[in-house]
Amino acid sequence: MDFIYSIIPAGVLSQIFVGLSRTTILFIVASGLSLILGVLRIPNVAHGSLYMIGAFTAFTVTKLFGGGSAGFWMALIIAPLVVAFISLIAERGMFQFLYEREHLMLLLLTFAFSLVFGDLVKLVWGSEYKSVPVPHIFQGFVPLFGGLPFPLYNLFLLVAGPIVAILLWLLTNKTKIGKIARAAAVDREMVGAVGINVSWVFASVFVIGCFLAGLGGVLVAPTVSVTLGMDHNLIIEAFLIVIMGGLGNIWGALLGALIFGLTQSMGILIWPQFGIIFPYLAVVIVLLFRPTGLLKSTW
Amino acid sequence: MKKSVLLSMSLLFFVGLFMVCPLTYAQSTIKVGIVDTYTGPASTYTLDVLDGFRLAVDKINAKGGVLGKKIEYTTRDEKFKPDIGLAMAKELVMKENVDLLMGTINSGTALAVSDFARKEKMPFFVTYSKSEKIIGEKGHRYVFNMNENTEMAGRAAGVALAKKPFVKYWICGDDYEYGHAIADAVWNNLKKLNPKVQLMGQSWWKLGEPDFTPYITQIMAAKPDFIIVATGGSGMVNFQKAAKATGLAEKIPFYQHTANELGTLLPQGKNAPEGVYGTSNYLFYFPDTPANKAFADEFQKAYKRYPKASALTGYMTALFIAEGYKKAGKLDKEALINALEGLKIDSPVGPLAIRACDHQLELPTYFGVTKKDAKYDFLVSGDTQVVPPKDYMPTCEEVLKLRKK
Repeated sequence: MDFIYSIIPAGVLSQIFVGLSRTTILFIVASGLSLILGVLRIPNVAHGSLYMIGAFTAFTVTKLFGGGSAGFWMALIIAPLVVAFISLIAERGMFQFLYEREHLMLLLLTFAFSLVFGDLVKLVWGSEYKSVPVPHIFQGFVPLFGGLPFPLYNLFLLVAGPIVAILLWLLTNKTKIGKIARAAAVDREMVGAVGINVSWVFASVFVIGCFLAGLGGVLVAPTVSVTLGMDHNLIIEAFLIVIMGGLGNIWGALLGALIFGLTQSMGILIWPQFGIIFPYLAVVIVLLFRPTGLLKSTW
Repeated sequence: MKKSVLLSMSLLFFVGLFMVCPLTYAQSTIKVGIVDTYTGPASTYTLDVLDGFRLAVDKINAKGGVLGKKIEYTTRDEKFKPDIGLAMAKELVMKENVDLLMGTINSGTALAVSDFARKEKMPFFVTYSKSEKIIGEKGHRYVFNMNENTEMAGRAAGVALAKKPFVKYWICGDDYEYGHAIADAVWNNLKKLNPKVQLMGQSWWKLGEPDFTPYITQIMAAKPDFIIVATGGSGMVNFQKAAKATGLAEKIPFYQHTANELGTLLPQGKNAPEGVYGTSNYLFYFPDTPANKAFADEFQKAYKRYPKASALTGYMTALFIAEGYKKAGKLDKEALINALEGLKIDSPVGPLAIRACDHQLELPTYFGVTKKDAKYDFLVSGDTQVVPPKDYMPTCEEVLKLRKK
């Protein structure tokens, strides 16, 4: 370890890992957004609201199961499914009739959805701040990197991120629906022409994308206060990540999230007073040199 | 003969009607127009203002009202947008003919409505905006501030922290007016009272930042003695959660305005960090006096929850309006303002007065550290000490000097 510290100081290393754990949440949410953008061509502004609903559902489920660790694990399974179910209703009831519309129209429609979801959340859960406790085994911190404390929950996020990435890779590359979805992203008419029910492929992709938003919401819940307005903050960051990585490209979302998370944490280390500008500066630089994003855009 | 009697009688009747009618008809009630944010995260505070206000109004009306008139109120939801808030205040004055205005949690709206109130000569009671400009730079005869402002909160914390042995300080907070105003007020007063303190560095994050971990790990690596954390709203809870997860709360003590308040501690339950320094302007369990207990019980009975600091603000605003009119003896705006200046009335936390020179309610500040209490399933303020208004309020000269600029 001392050898590593001689190259990278412990403080920097700790900061990198904190940045990576932030990346996990950003990646999970942004990949769902990107998936929907790529295959369905919907700029889903309501994605942030589904993330918020995921977090609020996690609060309720955790409470139902006694507010302890068991509650959190149940929430991790149930809440994304609840979000997926809501999105299925939205897709079957509304979006499936609108795929041929202009992007601006879809943008406005999903924006309207985000307002409706926001008010529904207020109706169901009220306006008080909610808090989901960190599960027992991840409470506290471990001295890592030269004795600097590192939160255990962030370690858990560091493990969860790659797992989700691998599952997504398997889904898009190894399963039939993944292959059809990728084909549909390139040429949806052709996919329909070879006799595949595109409508249901789209519905599944939409639901999977929204499931990821819900999952992000559950994972973030123990680290923040679950509150109205958490959707707006996230959706802007998620869109920036998706644009930076290349619209519709899941690996672009991963790359974008990495850049966003790491520039943020390193920016704070270098210049704490103005740490907030670094991720946005990164977005500007990337778009100056690669206006369509870092990786190949499906648009 | 008979005809002329009838004529004079009816004439008298109509003249009498003409004289009496406008008085009784136009002023059968005292109408208060409330503009505030009732949607979004801010409503966790504003609903307590409204419920506190309602509690007092119901009590006043049950006793027959003020000068024989009942108090009634109408609310408008400005949705945290100053332009909408201002339009609503105008509508309340022009169409609803309200006698008084009240609100709002958004400082931008409060300042816009305050400017309108000045032009309309309409008394305006500010109930949750913490901007020091309301009674400072932009202060005038028609505006009253019924809660603490950033300057007061910061100074009170400065007074308490100056007695502590910490030397190396770090400042961090939300990068917008509230955060900077609080941090500046704490630091300037602390530096004045204890010249030994040093500022090691600062970190500022965007408003609504969800994850503070990278900021906290960086500050911990810098090893200051004490951190002044200038956050508000949901940032309060977010920062405390991150402080607990990173172990910051056990390693480096830190201060947040309202850290020891119910609004911050209730959502976290038993999981909030212990040992966080905070200032608050109302705690329902402290001071443990019969008056405070009676108010807390009454509020709890009516709304099935404990009152937050903002509940006291709403409650006291109603009482001051009632007492002000009583002292004035008539329903006249100018007379009400004259009556309110320097008026001191009993409150759940002891007698409170509105300062005559700048229309600021003089509130005690409670400085304490968060700790567990077996009686509640959330943390409370421990080792609470009272910082009386005379120890930290900016002087009249200081405030009035700001207005001249």
